[in-house]
Amino acid sequence: MRGGFHKGNTMIQMFHVTKSYDSSTHALIDVTIKIPKGDFLFITGPSGAGKSTLLKIMFGTEAPTSGQIILDGRNYVKIPSEEIPLLRRRIGFVFQDFKLISNKTVFENVALSLQVMGVDPAETRKRVLRMLSYVKLQHRANFKPLCLSGGEQQRVAIARALVKDPAIILADEPTGNLDPALSTETIELFREVNNKGTTVVIATHDKGLIERYARRTAHLENGRLTE
Amino acid sequence: MIKAANIRYVLRDSLRSVRANMLSAVFTALTLGFSLAILALFAVVFLNLNTMVTGLGDKTVIVAYVKDAALVAGPERLKAEALGVPGVSAAEFISKEAAFSELKSGFRGHEAIFEGVDANPLPASMEIKLKDSFKDPSKVTGAVERLKAMSWVEEVQYSAEWVERFSAFLRFVELGASVIGVFLAAAVLFIISNTIRLTVYARKDEIEIMRLVGASDLYIKAPFFIEGALQGFAGGLLALLMLGGAGLMLSSEIPSYLAFVVAVPISIPMLFLSLVCAGIFMGVAGSLISMGRFLKV
Repeated sequence: MRGGFHKGNTMIQMFHVTKSYDSSTHALIDVTIKIPKGDFLFITGPSGAGKSTLLKIMFGTEAPTSGQIILDGRNYVKIPSEEIPLLRRRIGFVFQDFKLISNKTVFENVALSLQVMGVDPAETRKRVLRMLSYVKLQHRANFKPLCLSGGEQQRVAIARALVKDPAIILADEPTGNLDPALSTETIELFREVNNKGTTVVIATHDKGLIERYARRTAHLENGRLTE
Repeated sequence: MIKAANIRYVLRDSLRSVRANMLSAVFTALTLGFSLAILALFAVVFLNLNTMVTGLGDKTVIVAYVKDAALVAGPERLKAEALGVPGVSAAEFISKEAAFSELKSGFRGHEAIFEGVDANPLPASMEIKLKDSFKDPSKVTGAVERLKAMSWVEEVQYSAEWVERFSAFLRFVELGASVIGVFLAAAVLFIISNTIRLTVYARKDEIEIMRLVGASDLYIKAPFFIEGALQGFAGGLLALLMLGGAGLMLSSEIPSYLAFVVAVPISIPMLFLSLVCAGIFMGVAGSLISMGRFLKV
């Protein structure tokens, strides 16, 4: 069992989830989806279709206007706010804009995921160095993020998401800022962790990527989901 | 549950934050130091004046003059009645003769002034002392009223009248000091919460990212509390140094009969502890205000 989640076959279930910002702006409309454990799912659709909102709702940073989200057997909507950090520690999120702390080094950015969990410094060091080596950034450990290229920053963000050995990876346009070669390399990283049992959900509008990997795809268009 | 590793990370982050915002931290500590020093000075002066008034109250003696017509009842009975007043601990009867003889002894060598005074003009009196618990000016007044109401009492005099007035003045000073104290404390809390708020703003992105990777509320807030406590500690220390420096500079300027007013009534370690505790309390309270208002990322 990875990331401390419970046994069972379904990682995420969403029932009739709607997200509205006002009476005429609907980011998601009646979305129902079931993501089994160990799945590798692409969520596709044009910009503004609601892909990021869907991931943010899965991650708990946005609340649905209506509907239910069951994450590994627990109803997200009913989880007390103080338990949300515990849930997030089991989810690795790769943000489109990386969300790296600019005044911390690459090592410190990746280590943060483990530090907030109370992992001791020696163990943290070992795991962070191993992860940086995995994403081929060990030589950049002491660099600040702004000294790295876009692709390298993306790999730091991925390393931060993976280092805590999460049960699920949510990635929002992880190849949006990368050239084709780096995009392939990044998706390969996700495939490797998926092969070890981690559920991976990637939001992307890159059709070429989807065709290349021929995985399960859910398509979002104007807030509505079709599979 | 807070793990030991968390405490290490939080302490490290707190010290880093203080280092990164050193200038504002120093100004906050200085402001806190000045405010605590002023508050402490108020407290010292007030405590010393209060002690002085209490000491004067200890020396309070009530003199009840006895009507000549009442002397037939006999001193023992009058004394028993005086002792029956709540709060009276002792009563001594001074006869007309004793009073006159004492007066004369006060004018030894000038006996001529008593020539022509045939009858003893002085009244007999009862010198009354109060129990310690009745030496508060308001309670003295109560005992005096009870004595005045007695049939054998002509008039009552007591030395505590001006003590009472001074005590009323001190209550006014106490009120003034409290108001100034509240204003100073509010100003310090505002400054500290503002300093911490600026730090929170400077680290807004970092805090948001920490939340996203699963940091608990306590993990995020603890460094700011520690920062407030460190500034408070430094403020308390500075207040002690300021008071010590002021004491050294002014000690030769203060007349000896007024020196007791600014003498610190507690030991230096106790003063240090009080100032540092007050500083830490205000530092943490300032952070708490800032957290509640601004740390909703």
